[in-house]
Amino acid sequence: MISRVRNVVNSVMGGLAALPQPPERPQPDDLELKYPYCRPEFLQLSQDEIQVSADHVSRPIMVPREPNRLPWSAGYAEVINAGKSPRNEDQAATAQLCISRPARTPNRNTNKANNKGNNGNSGEDNPHQEAMAEEEEVRYNTDVEELHFTYFGVFDGHAGTGAAIMASRTLHYHIRDKMTDVSELLLPVTYEGMEQNHPGAGSKNGSGSGKPSSRVITKEHLIIGALERSFCEMDSQIERERLTFRITGGCTALVAVFVLGKLFLVNAGDSRAVLCRNGEAIPMSRDFTPESERQRLQYLAHLHPHLLYNEFTALEFPRRLHKTDLGKQTLYRDHTMTGWAPKTVTEDDLKFPLIFGEGKRCRVLATIGVTRGFGDHDLRVYDSHCLIKPFLTAAPEIQTYDMLEQRFGEDDFLIMASDGLWDVVANQDACNVVLDALTQFHPQDPNRYTSAAQELVMHARGTLQGKGWRRPAEDKPASGDDITAFIIPLYHYGNQHLSSPIVLSESEESSTREMETETEAEADPGPDSLDP
Amino acid sequence: MSYAYLFKYIIIGDTGVGKSCLLLQFTDKRFQPVHDLTIGVEFGARMITIDGKQIKLQIWDTAGQESFRSITRSYYRGAAGALLVYDITRRDTFNHLTTWLEDARQHSNSNMVIMLIGNKSDLESRREVKKEEGEAFAREHGLIFMETSAKTAANVEEAFINTAKEIYEKIQEGVFDINNEANGIKIGPQHSPSNPALGGGGGAGGSQPGGGCC
Repeated sequence: MISRVRNVVNSVMGGLAALPQPPERPQPDDLELKYPYCRPEFLQLSQDEIQVSADHVSRPIMVPREPNRLPWSAGYAEVINAGKSPRNEDQAATAQLCISRPARTPNRNTNKANNKGNNGNSGEDNPHQEAMAEEEEVRYNTDVEELHFTYFGVFDGHAGTGAAIMASRTLHYHIRDKMTDVSELLLPVTYEGMEQNHPGAGSKNGSGSGKPSSRVITKEHLIIGALERSFCEMDSQIERERLTFRITGGCTALVAVFVLGKLFLVNAGDSRAVLCRNGEAIPMSRDFTPESERQRLQYLAHLHPHLLYNEFTALEFPRRLHKTDLGKQTLYRDHTMTGWAPKTVTEDDLKFPLIFGEGKRCRVLATIGVTRGFGDHDLRVYDSHCLIKPFLTAAPEIQTYDMLEQRFGEDDFLIMASDGLWDVVANQDACNVVLDALTQFHPQDPNRYTSAAQELVMHARGTLQGKGWRRPAEDKPASGDDITAFIIPLYHYGNQHLSSPIVLSESEESSTREMETETEAEADPGPDSLDP
Repeated sequence: MSYAYLFKYIIIGDTGVGKSCLLLQFTDKRFQPVHDLTIGVEFGARMITIDGKQIKLQIWDTAGQESFRSITRSYYRGAAGALLVYDITRRDTFNHLTTWLEDARQHSNSNMVIMLIGNKSDLESRREVKKEEGEAFAREHGLIFMETSAKTAANVEEAFINTAKEIYEKIQEGVFDINNEANGIKIGPQHSPSNPALGGGGGAGGSQPGGGCC
């Protein structure tokens, strides 16, 4: 089912040839904010409400007033931290987007026409119309094919709200742009032989089969490529624009894209996606932390020792070493090892370790606990010139899940949540809490998934008892972090998709079959095709 | 806009008694006959004047549904006032008042001012709970009482404002520790010590409750 896990450890290495030097530039405080503080648009909060939502004493759980604003009436809930930062540094976004063929050069700043953005309610109608209006020039050209996709994103910010807000406002446009770049390969209906594309190998002339030496690139890999490029582009945009705007901090990013019959889970950070099918929790992302990324980080330091500014050691030891340990034996491990080996302690080993601490307290360069995401371009080790960013990467890991292989029921869903949730709730427990909550609502009730999201966030937030937040059910500490959760029902997409001609198929033949299915579905719209 | 005080209110009571409609009537002066189910909590705010002081009411409107009870309960804490609402045309909503009151007393601070509200007074013909019963319940439990109509707006202003007056009096009497935000009262920016011209009832600790504003 999980057809592919892509590890992109190597892809980050390429970008390091030119090492960042401390740049001369305006102090960030003098610059204008790129975006003022806000909450996700679909919450429709007034300024007053944004203020109330930041009440650290009551920690109100915020949910969309109109659940229909989210695609498929997906559930969403968020709560602010218990006081660690004045604002909620998590952000979230949804969008229903559309690309069309022939591709046109998108104008990133003004081209919002074919986006539903965060405000989507009807979901399907408007993008169509607007896309058509925008693409008017090319309409006469051919039958414009459209590819619709649905997007959800969770961004967990740190050291400020700027990067997370910017990513929540912008990343889906980058994804749309990168998909547009390959729209001619994704939307092949008038061409032959496009199911297996040969980019750069004359695929447009339909003679792909005559070039046996070309590699076969599937549409799935074109989408994965587009998603990967969009993540890097997002980070580059923050890097560029921080010279003219104040964009504080950094953020992790977890994105779900439903397109061509598949779910693409794109993760750069320690937010997590868990799919629940038939009551069973299936992890859809891996958390990136200093511990889980130790070898990548150590390898980077090994290749570029000057990144450690002579202040840190890339090796890991079972404990912090002191002067008294000099000349004695210790165990260590480096980037090539998962196990441990002995060595004699030298002066170099007394430096602070590149990765130090356990669990949630584990830090890279004694500074940061996340290793992937956007922003942080100016983050340095405290009282040092040592830049953190070279060790952080925007490169995501992508998992795909075939949404057409099986039918989904109303109690099958995807949870996407920030680490505020996962720190205190295990995957299966989270699914169980949601399943329990779902039983209290009719499957067609638009509040169903929102209520479940609220229950889930409540479960992690707990209640204030005395001075601390606790989860009374289990008498365990609750999460004092910002908590954000989407509960995305899965049956809509599968059903909706049956009425669409575009699927990721291995051959032209199966594509044709899907088109026939669609014709039938249109002739006799069954009870399954009522999605708004 | 600046204010002398901010009071946090909470509205509680069975589902369908008109909590959200009361809030909407008070904040927007309009009535919405069909209102979406409240999921968890929603907010409203309005500025009122008491004793020449601008007071901002920040109102937390909670879901009445039993299934949301554990969530809404967690919002009682930190409220200075509560509107406990029943529907005069549905006796069961009146019968549940004891449970609501116990809940509120258990999870809120002890000084919270509670206003009992019999809503839908415009539906006289369908009345199931006599006004006298509401009055008796309020007397017995030390609550203020009013019948209101979110539809005609009858007594809606009074309900919110009288509650605020009661809280304001308690501040004057020194019952509320206004420096503790968990009591649901915040001193506005115009009272902060950094602006002494407007009186120093500020949050810097040690000042008399209500000091500088009377």
